[in-house]
Amino acid sequence: MFITSNPFAGLAQFGITPGMMQIFVILAIIAVVAGILLDVAHKKSAKYFFEHTERMKKLATRQLSSSEKTSMLVQVILNEVLTSSEFHNPKRRIAHLLKMYGFIIFVVSSAVLIFFYPTEQYAGFWGLMWRVGAIMLAVGGWWFFTKLRVDVLSEGKKWYKLARADMFIVSLLGVSTFGLLWCFFQGVVGSTALALLFFALFLISAVVLFGGVYWSKFGHMFFKPAAAYQKRILMADGSRENLPPFYKRAEVLDQSTMDLVRDIPADQKFGLCIMKDEPNHY
Amino acid sequence: MAYKTIVVDDIDILVVGAGLSGTGAAWEARYWGQDKKIVIAEKANIYRSGAVAMGLYAINCYMGTRFGENNPEDHVRYARNDLMGMVREDLLFDMARHVDSTVHQFEEWGLPIMRDPETGTYQREGKWQIMIHGESYKPIVAMAAMKSADKVYNRICVTHLLMDEAKENRVAGAVGFNVRTGDFYVFRSKTVIVTAGGASMIYKPRSTGEGAGRVWYAPWSSGSAYGLLIQAGAKMTQMENRIVLARFKDGYGPVGAYFLHLKTYTQNGLGEEYESHWYDELKKMVGEYIDHHPVPTCLRNHALIREVLAGRGPIHMVTMHSFQDPHLEEVGWHNFLGMTVGQAVLWASTDLDPKCENPELTTSEPYVMGSHATACGAWCSGPEDVSPPEYFWGYNRMTTVHGLFGAGDACGGTPHAFSSGSFTEGRLAAKAACQYIDDGKAEGIVVSDRQIEELREKIYKPLENYKIWNNEVVAGDVNPTILYPKQGLIRMQKIMDEYCGGVSMQYMTNEKLLNIGLKKLAILREDMEMLAARDLHELLRCWELHHRVLTSEAVMHHTLFRKETRWPGYYYRGDHLYLDDENWHVLTVSRRDPKTGEWTMEKAPLYHIVGDVEEEYQKKKAAKS
Amino acid sequence: MPTFVYMTRCDGCGYCVDICPSDIMHIDTTWRRAYNIEPDMCWECYSCVKACPMHAIDVRGYADFCPLGHAVRVHRDEEEGIIAWRIKFRSGRIKDLVAPITTKPWGKYIPDLKQVPAPTKEQRESQLLFNEPKYIRLDDGDLYTLESQGLKMRQGVYY
Ligand SMILES: Cc1cc2nc3c(=O)[nH]c(=O)nc-3n(C[C@H](O)[C@H](O)[C@H](O)COP(=O)(O)OP(=O)(O)OC[C@H]3O[C@@H](n4cnc5c(N)ncnc54)[C@H](O)[C@@H]3O)c2cc1C
Ligand code: SF4
Ligand code: SF4
Repeated sequence: MFITSNPFAGLAQFGITPGMMQIFVILAIIAVVAGILLDVAHKKSAKYFFEHTERMKKLATRQLSSSEKTSMLVQVILNEVLTSSEFHNPKRRIAHLLKMYGFIIFVVSSAVLIFFYPTEQYAGFWGLMWRVGAIMLAVGGWWFFTKLRVDVLSEGKKWYKLARADMFIVSLLGVSTFGLLWCFFQGVVGSTALALLFFALFLISAVVLFGGVYWSKFGHMFFKPAAAYQKRILMADGSRENLPPFYKRAEVLDQSTMDLVRDIPADQKFGLCIMKDEPNHY
Repeated sequence: MAYKTIVVDDIDILVVGAGLSGTGAAWEARYWGQDKKIVIAEKANIYRSGAVAMGLYAINCYMGTRFGENNPEDHVRYARNDLMGMVREDLLFDMARHVDSTVHQFEEWGLPIMRDPETGTYQREGKWQIMIHGESYKPIVAMAAMKSADKVYNRICVTHLLMDEAKENRVAGAVGFNVRTGDFYVFRSKTVIVTAGGASMIYKPRSTGEGAGRVWYAPWSSGSAYGLLIQAGAKMTQMENRIVLARFKDGYGPVGAYFLHLKTYTQNGLGEEYESHWYDELKKMVGEYIDHHPVPTCLRNHALIREVLAGRGPIHMVTMHSFQDPHLEEVGWHNFLGMTVGQAVLWASTDLDPKCENPELTTSEPYVMGSHATACGAWCSGPEDVSPPEYFWGYNRMTTVHGLFGAGDACGGTPHAFSSGSFTEGRLAAKAACQYIDDGKAEGIVVSDRQIEELREKIYKPLENYKIWNNEVVAGDVNPTILYPKQGLIRMQKIMDEYCGGVSMQYMTNEKLLNIGLKKLAILREDMEMLAARDLHELLRCWELHHRVLTSEAVMHHTLFRKETRWPGYYYRGDHLYLDDENWHVLTVSRRDPKTGEWTMEKAPLYHIVGDVEEEYQKKKAAKS
Repeated sequence: MPTFVYMTRCDGCGYCVDICPSDIMHIDTTWRRAYNIEPDMCWECYSCVKACPMHAIDVRGYADFCPLGHAVRVHRDEEEGIIAWRIKFRSGRIKDLVAPITTKPWGKYIPDLKQVPAPTKEQRESQLLFNEPKYIRLDDGDLYTLESQGLKMRQGVYY
């Protein structure tokens, strides 16, 4: 069955051995870790993070218990991490979930195929998952890249205009799209030349993706949950990043400024105005 | 260049700029032209564009005839007095008799207008002002305009008006570019209502770093209304009448509510009342105008400026008394948060608690606009039933170009219209524009492709200039051939400041200085052929600069023409330091010939609305002398 | 710089870019997050601050005259129809304020003028605007004119 075939097994024809692939995976992991550590050390981002937290702690109006903190950690994992709840725009949230889960599935299945099925032509479940991951990543990625990217959506830039911030998404598009094409030409069409071409492009994309962490937005995957956790803590300990409470109307009706709306039923909502539309008025 | 040309055809009413007057125009136009095509071109996002983007805490123009408070003619008298007589009273009366209907509709739409808990009438801040929770003032009026318009084109910077080639001096639409996509937009329209707002950043600001953005009038008030109208050859009036604001120092936070509602007052650095120190001097300069009540804004400015120059500064706003009342304190803060948040930021950062410390006041750099306590703008026709022959040529708020209308800051001679009056003027212009079309005045308009192509080329030239001439240098902004818009802006501001009575000259100028200034402006205009834009944002800044420079030229010519000092405290003609009612009790009117760029100036007669009050005053005066 | 964007809070949604009247909130090409490209053209109008769903935008008062260590932050809630402010002074003192921003569901009571009965010929020829004369005083009175007020337009110097 083509859809469970193992694309990596076909690489033998280009003289690529399982050992080489396994070394590549290990190098990729090292590159990612190194890139992130370098980023943290060089930019002092972690130092900023902790000093900022310290400063905010001074503004705290109450002490959080460790069980509260734990529950917030769980919340962050359930909401921000697993379901990307921080995205305001539902389209971007869906695209992000596709990309994130696609990427995870794709990377994990690649590693499994390379380490456990290096020479098997068909890899059953993992072969299938490799395709599912790649397709999810490609669909979410291209959707984001052509329509949802803020420079396209709100700044009116053409989708094919690239900037450094696109390094991460373009390399993701590269590994997923070229990976699928390589697999397709290798397994279905049986065109060695095209398979080789797309494999080469796939390889370049992977090198950029894992090797370019220091320069790309790759690191945000690790920083974002930490930031989300910090935000929850600050909102709960009263420092609120200096933000006012997010009142419901009913809670502030005793204020003299609220005379004009005092008689309106507390549960009446006014709907949306500016925030009703997508942010692309041009 | 790959930018598309997008043509919007068959428009009946094109509204250029959707601030308060533009939203009023678009909204009302739908009633009188239910089957007409109404289109808005707005350079920002209509929800938050124009001077009211930040919100307002007061509607400054409301008669309250419904509560028996004021009549329209009372407001005319008030504005006339404040502007030292120089207003278009026909236009003012017309605005004032309609403005309440505008405000009542705002309330119906959901704008929170405060009520006096005892009487149930609108909560007055002063005689003309009512208090609102107006954070969403602009989104609310924007929704009204969006409901009426066939389409709102946001982020279109309109650069030029299109002119009819079949009939001389008739408008045919407008062109501009999309600030996001860069596409070229052509709007072919039977009528155009220009409501693109007043001009900030004409004069060198007091704060020259980041703080340059904390101008009193919004930084995006680019004088486009004036630039567009002047380019089209419309006559302008009272462009010398720029305004200087006495405001909280640096933050330029509003003082209206402080004086009127919170009953704070000013004193000099010694803790004394100081305005009386300057009574005799002002009496010599302006005669009996100084005895009027309320004292005209410019004359109070004069006292402030002179007192500081006499070494008795700074001027303080005494807040420490009123702010002991927690309710008034709260109003004071809401007033800032509702319309000048930057002032609250400033007080927060300097730890200023107005309960414990009196904040400083200062006079701002001058601004050119026509809806606050000043009257710059286009020379427009008044309404048939009020205007004398010199003020009437067929259609209310129509400029001297056929089919081209103005409202709000764009319409000259109508100070103290503010937000509500501007919206009302937009409504009046819209009705007149519909009539103009229904009368068949817009038939047979011809616009050649050549006109459009030439404008297209002109618009994008700064991008082209940059591409070519950036090759000349290694890097950086210094280039011997091209000029970036910020550089041009600063040059213009310096010229206006030093030659046309800016802050650093203590608002002083004279004929010699003005003539030098005009020369320098002309050279700047030559250099602006080489304006350069790195991207579309800078292209926007280039065209804003063009409109600002045209505005500056008008201000310069008008200031030169009026050989008197009509508004001490706004500016001084050092060579004519006195008010001269014998020769200059007139309105100044200018026109720039679009073909030659030559300016011509003329005087227009000043008509006043005269009733019992004036008759009695004249009688008393006669008896005295 | 008047507005700035917290790196860890912005998710690149574009609301600030879309709303800024000065066209100065743009997207950084390295991080694809928003920032203020021209701080000296920022009015501190807070349009972007209020529109940011992440509260990622804050304001540091103009460097020309604002010492550090302050904050004026805001939460604008269209559904609830209220806006809440928190002012933090340099000294750390805090002041909270709240105000309504609408009294009605957004836009619901703005009439569609295409649907209302068309104006008559007399109305067209009169000086009246939509809903007038009723809305001027909310009574049956007519529009003010020079005659009704006993006024004249006259040239000359009048105060
Ligand atoms: C700090 C401050 C406080 C004020 N306080 C009060 C108050 O308390 N009460 C009150 O009633 N009034 C107040 N006003 C006055 C009121 O805001 C103005 O009178 C009113 O907004 C003027 O309306 P307008 O339509 O002429 O201009 P604006 O409302 O400024 O509208 C101009 C519009 O044109 C657009 N535009 C500009 N150039 C172009 C172009 N080239 N192409 C396309 N579109 C363009 C702009 O984006 C904008 O939308 C205040 C103003 C300021 C600045
Ligand atoms: S609105 Fe807020 S979250 Fe969205 S792009 Fe701007 S700063 Fe970032
Ligand atoms: S505060 Fe206003 S001017 Fe400044 S960036 Fe935000 S929206 Fe733009």
